[in-house]
Amino acid sequence: MTTTLCALLTQTWFAADMPPDICQRMADIGELKDYPAGATVLQEGIPCRALGVVLSGRIALRLAIPGVGDRTIITVDDGDLFGWSALLPDAGATSTGVTLVPTRALLFEREQLAAALAADPVLAAAIYPRVLVAVARRLAATRLQLLDVYRAGQEPW
Amino acid sequence: MTATPRFLPRAELDRLFAVLTADGRRVLGPTIVDGAIVHDELASTAELPVGWTADTAPGSYRLRETGRERAFDYNVGVTSWKRFTHPPIVPLTRGRREGGKVVVESVEETPPRVAFVGVRACELAALRIQDRAMRAGPLGDADHVARGDAALVVAVECATAAGTCFCTSMGTGPEVTDGADIVLSELDEGFVIRSTSEAGGALVDRLQLRSAEPIESARAVAQVTAVRDAIGDPVPTEGLSAKLRAALDHPRWAEVAQRCLACANCTLVCPTCFCTSVSVASDLDGVEGTTARNWDSCFSAGFGRVAGDANFRPKVKDRYRQWLTHKFSTWWDQFGSTGCVGCGRCIAWCPVGIDVREELMAIAPLDAPEGPIPWPLSPDEGRAPAALATVAPAVHVTATVRATGFETADTATLHLTTSDRALLGARPGQFVMVELPGFAVPPISISRIRPDGLDLTIRSVGPATAALTSLTGGAELSLRGPLGRSWPVEAGYGRDVVIVAGGIGLAPLRPLIDAILADRPKFGAVRLYLGARTPRDRLFVAEMNALAGRADLEIDEIVDRAGPEWLGRVGIVTQLFDHAPWDGSRATAFMCGPERMMQATATTLNRLGVARKDLWLTLERNMACGVGTCGHCQLGPFFVCRDGPVFSQAELGTAFGREGL
Repeated sequence: MTTTLCALLTQTWFAADMPPDICQRMADIGELKDYPAGATVLQEGIPCRALGVVLSGRIALRLAIPGVGDRTIITVDDGDLFGWSALLPDAGATSTGVTLVPTRALLFEREQLAAALAADPVLAAAIYPRVLVAVARRLAATRLQLLDVYRAGQEPW
Repeated sequence: MTATPRFLPRAELDRLFAVLTADGRRVLGPTIVDGAIVHDELASTAELPVGWTADTAPGSYRLRETGRERAFDYNVGVTSWKRFTHPPIVPLTRGRREGGKVVVESVEETPPRVAFVGVRACELAALRIQDRAMRAGPLGDADHVARGDAALVVAVECATAAGTCFCTSMGTGPEVTDGADIVLSELDEGFVIRSTSEAGGALVDRLQLRSAEPIESARAVAQVTAVRDAIGDPVPTEGLSAKLRAALDHPRWAEVAQRCLACANCTLVCPTCFCTSVSVASDLDGVEGTTARNWDSCFSAGFGRVAGDANFRPKVKDRYRQWLTHKFSTWWDQFGSTGCVGCGRCIAWCPVGIDVREELMAIAPLDAPEGPIPWPLSPDEGRAPAALATVAPAVHVTATVRATGFETADTATLHLTTSDRALLGARPGQFVMVELPGFAVPPISISRIRPDGLDLTIRSVGPATAALTSLTGGAELSLRGPLGRSWPVEAGYGRDVVIVAGGIGLAPLRPLIDAILADRPKFGAVRLYLGARTPRDRLFVAEMNALAGRADLEIDEIVDRAGPEWLGRVGIVTQLFDHAPWDGSRATAFMCGPERMMQATATTLNRLGVARKDLWLTLERNMACGVGTCGHCQLGPFFVCRDGPVFSQAELGTAFGREGL
């Protein structure tokens, strides 16, 4: 089973060039999870139960605006991470994650992952940069979204 | 021509004026108005500034009596001769709109035959330089050409040097070498006169003058030589263009901006500056409208402003850099000469006394490095050939709206019919200038080319675009075009194609998509990535959905923000492909959208292997004339309307995405 999980993991961009032994160790603590469309996988403010990698499907990360309703800030698709705050001690999820379509994900339970990373610097050195890349990518996207570049304004004509 | 110099006694200068008048010419020359020497129409030699000169220094101009009887004992007038060859206001079009019917016609004036009397060597150079700019491109500016052709030039060699002169550094004077019809050298007792054209020779022959004595000719030469020595070489120009290219981030730009008022005096008195804007006037009921071309300046705050409140040169620092680097660097790239003739007007008439000579030596001193060229300047270096415009600026075609379809709440597509062969021959990526009498004339990208007409997709964000998007079936509008360089569709032959569109940037890409699909076997894999602000802002939704059903094309889309009802992707457009498995080195990419989005897209595509020469984009700038003569859309060595709007990333060099250029 874990061999299969490893194969699934390496098909994502997150783990595409991951050394086989690292991939295997992650697979050893991974759990395959299938969500139907509309499932809530994260709840804003509530600690994440696990770090997830989307294998297929789509999750909308949303923030609720009082008086306005939910707004999707970003969607995560194949290879994207969700629930990365599971790597932070005592941190709650920064958004609510809802699957938009049936979604398959590989989950790494929070405490089990933290213990594995703490116990194995080689594993930590392989995983943290990848998480950082994923978070930085999301940060870069957020910056451009903040610019609202497509907004129409007044023009001379 | 009169090869032998002749001598015109001072008392007989009137005879020269009489000959010019008899030749059917208005005589324009120097005279004193409001305490300054200006160029104006002269009824007789009595109006010349006899016995006067002007003392000039940074921020200072004062008339002074010389105690001599000379008529041309000053250097240059306040206003340059461009006032007559490139007038401050030139009517462009006259239009009428009634009951949906539109007629727009060019206003064509026949310029009067004139004689410019008192033109200095630096001003002759200025006439040549501005002429080269206004005649540039396949079509040129008809009004400028006609006015220049109607002028006969009587030059006068300088006998004094002003404190602001630096023609010697710019290689334009003080000796008169060419460009005049008649050349005068003023001595106390009269003028050594020679002709340098057939027209000038015929006129001089009519004066029936004696030959100049060798001593008279020698004194004339000695006089101008003394002027050269007096001026010296205040601005060594060797390598200046390259040094300025390397100094785009010099701290002096910010420092000089602290002093510069951005008043535009320097550009208005400059004899070569040619920037203009188009003004619009309408009668009260909006039936009749006219447009005119007015002098403007790259120092104007809104000169680089475009749709969406973007302003490509918002700071005085940016605008001063634009002016100086254009004059002394990118002018060479565009027209093969300096844009400055060293007349010194900009120094004297700067209200705070900014001295361009001093600024140049601070920013690009003798020992400054000549940095790498930030953009390729020739096809060998990677610059694509310029657009070959085929439609004269004066040609306005009336097109009829067949139907109007709203794509979003503020964006509509006008389906136009026309039988104009030039418009029907438009290429993907080209644009048209769209005119409704009484409204500003925006450039609009062509969003579809059909056998019987064109589609224009227009976002309503101002009065003109609001009027255009409100047009319904049967209404007419006026088009000028097609203009600009098109997408190089053939660059994708035998290669994979990646198309990235952001917002309304899909409109100019749509004809490219049409062209690719019409010739689908010639291309490899075709991938189309679409970004929009919200789901409601997506363009051509049904059409894109239909494309999604094709097996020979991949299409994916994403929006910046969305509510819970949207099941598609949310984020930025690069997320659609930043981890794509395809090999970018085999792809030709085309993109259009807001510039910041295109920067991010280019970075991602380059990382995926797309070469800079294979990445094509279309730039937005304030394209006011559409043919490269108004200056609004300048970007480094390019006029975006004429050299673009389609560019490769390679040919833009570091100009792409650079703020304030």
